[in-house]
Amino acid sequence: MIPNKQSVVVVPCSGIGKPFGSVSREAAYVLCEELRPADTQLVALSKLVLGEQQARERVRTSLAVTIDGCKQMCAAKLVKGNGGTIGREVAVFDVYRRYKHLKPQGIAELNEQGKKLARVLAEEIAESLDTIDCRGSEQGGQHA
Amino acid sequence: MPELPQRKAGIVACSGEELAEGTVSRLAALKVLQELRPGHTVTICLPLFLAGGEGDRAFARFHPTITIDGCELRCAARGTEMYSGKPAASIVVNDLAAEHGLGKIEGRRQLNAAGKRAVEIAAGRLVELVDEVLGKGDHPAHGGEITEPAPQQTRIATCSCGSGIPVGKITIDGNAVEIVALPLIFQRFHELGRSPDAAADELLATVKIYNYVAPGAENRFRETIVRAYAAFCEQEAVQ
Amino acid sequence: MSEYLQTTIDKFAFRVAKDRLYTPDGVWVFWLQPEGPNRVRVGLTDFRQQHSGDAAFVHVKPVGTRLQASDDFAELETIKVNLILPSPVAGTIVEVNEALELNPEIVNQDPYDKGWLAVIETTNWEADRTRLLDASAYFSVMQSQIEEELKQP
Repeated sequence: MIPNKQSVVVVPCSGIGKPFGSVSREAAYVLCEELRPADTQLVALSKLVLGEQQARERVRTSLAVTIDGCKQMCAAKLVKGNGGTIGREVAVFDVYRRYKHLKPQGIAELNEQGKKLARVLAEEIAESLDTIDCRGSEQGGQHA
Repeated sequence: MPELPQRKAGIVACSGEELAEGTVSRLAALKVLQELRPGHTVTICLPLFLAGGEGDRAFARFHPTITIDGCELRCAARGTEMYSGKPAASIVVNDLAAEHGLGKIEGRRQLNAAGKRAVEIAAGRLVELVDEVLGKGDHPAHGGEITEPAPQQTRIATCSCGSGIPVGKITIDGNAVEIVALPLIFQRFHELGRSPDAAADELLATVKIYNYVAPGAENRFRETIVRAYAAFCEQEAVQ
Repeated sequence: MSEYLQTTIDKFAFRVAKDRLYTPDGVWVFWLQPEGPNRVRVGLTDFRQQHSGDAAFVHVKPVGTRLQASDDFAELETIKVNLILPSPVAGTIVEVNEALELNPEIVNQDPYDKGWLAVIETTNWEADRTRLLDASAYFSVMQSQIEEELKQP
C-alpha cells in the first residue's frame, strides 16, 4: 500500500493491431489484479475519451500510469488530452528493447515470451509506484 | 482514372479492459480479422483512431465499418460516429449474450465458458454483418461473388478524408452533397452499358456501399443520382 | 520539403519522395549537392519501413567504413524481421544518424527526413546512379511488391 497516497489509475492502450497492444493489456491486469491491487485502478481508455463520468473523475483526481504498446503513445496522448496528469508514461516497446529475448507474438493469445514481458513490465511499474508523487503534480513523472 | 476500390469492411472493437465483455469484443473481432474473413476486413485500432490516426479514420469514412462493443456504453460505436461516420452495423456483446441465453460472462484475462461461447457467437454475427455490408451476390460494383482483394490504385488524393478516392457532388434539397467514389461508379456503370433508368436501384445500392444514405432520403438520392448519371452518359456520348 | 507519389491500400498510405533515387530493395538515395558533388544521404523508404514493422534497433556501420555497391551497410531489427540493407553506392560512410541509437522509431515516423541512416561519400557516383530507379520507377516496383504481398495468405 502506498502510504497516505491515493491509488493511481492505470490506463493501457490495448491496441489491437500489434502484439505490443496485448502486452500493454496483460501488464495492466498483472499490475492491478496481482501485484498492487490496493494501489491501482484500471480505467478503460475509451470510456475516458468518450466521456464516462466515473472514468473522468478517477483520472481527474488521481495520477495516471499509461501503458502504450507502441511509440504512437495513444494512451498517454489521450489521458493528457482528457484532463489527466501522468505520473509515469510507459512504452512497452522501450521495455522490449531492454529484454529483446522476450519477443511477443500473437494478439488474441500472447505467447509465453509476451506474457513474461508483460510481467516484467508490470513488476517494474509496481516497484516504481512508491516514488510517484500522488498529489496530482507532474513531479516524478517518468518514462520507461 | 483510378479503379473502383476493392471493398473491405473495417472492424472496431472496444477491447474494454474493465469488463470481461470487452475481452469478448476483442477476441471476436480478432477471430474475424485473422481467421474468418482475413482478406475482406481491416483492423481499426480504437485507441489510435481516438488519438487521431488519420489512416484509420480515413478508412472508416470511406469503407463500411462494423463496431463491436462489450456493453451499453458503446464506446466503439460512438467513437466511430464521432470521428468518421455512423457505423454500417453495430453489435453489443451484452445484448447478444442475453439474446442467446448465455450465463454470466466472466474472466477478463481468461474467459469462462460463457465468455468463450460469446466469442463464437459474436464472431459469427460479425461475419454475417461483414458479408451483408460487402454485398454478396451479383452487383456491378464487384461483379459477382466476393473475390480476392486487389490493391487499390490511387494516385490523385482528391477526397478530403485522405482516402485518395475521387468524389462527386450532387444537390439534394438545395444542399450540395459530396458522394465518395461517384465518378468511379458512373464510369463503371457506363462501361457495363447500363442505362440510367434501368440501373436506378443498383446505382443507389452502389453509392450506399461507400456513403451513408439515411433511409428516409433514399428516394431523393436515387432520383438525383439517376439524373446525374444520365448527364454523365450524355457527356460521354458527345466525347 | 519533398513532394510525394502516394498509393493507399486499405488504411495504409505509402509515399515515395519525388526528389531522390531508389533501389528496388527500398533504400532511397538523396544527392547532397551543396555538400559536394559526391555525397549522398541514404535511408529506408516508407513502404519498406511499414512492411518491416516498428524498428527496435538500428545498426549502421561506423564512419570510415568503405563500401562497394551492394555491401551491407546497415541492419534494422524489428519484431518481425532482421533487415540487412545493401549499400546503393560505392564509397565511404562519412556520417551516421546517431539519433537512431536511442530513438530507432524515427525510421518509422519520418523515413524520408529525420529517419535518414547515413551519408556516404561516393567513389563511383556516375556509374552507380545509372543502376538506381527514379521515383516513378520505384513507385511501380513498390506497387508490384504490394500486389505480391496481398496475394499471400
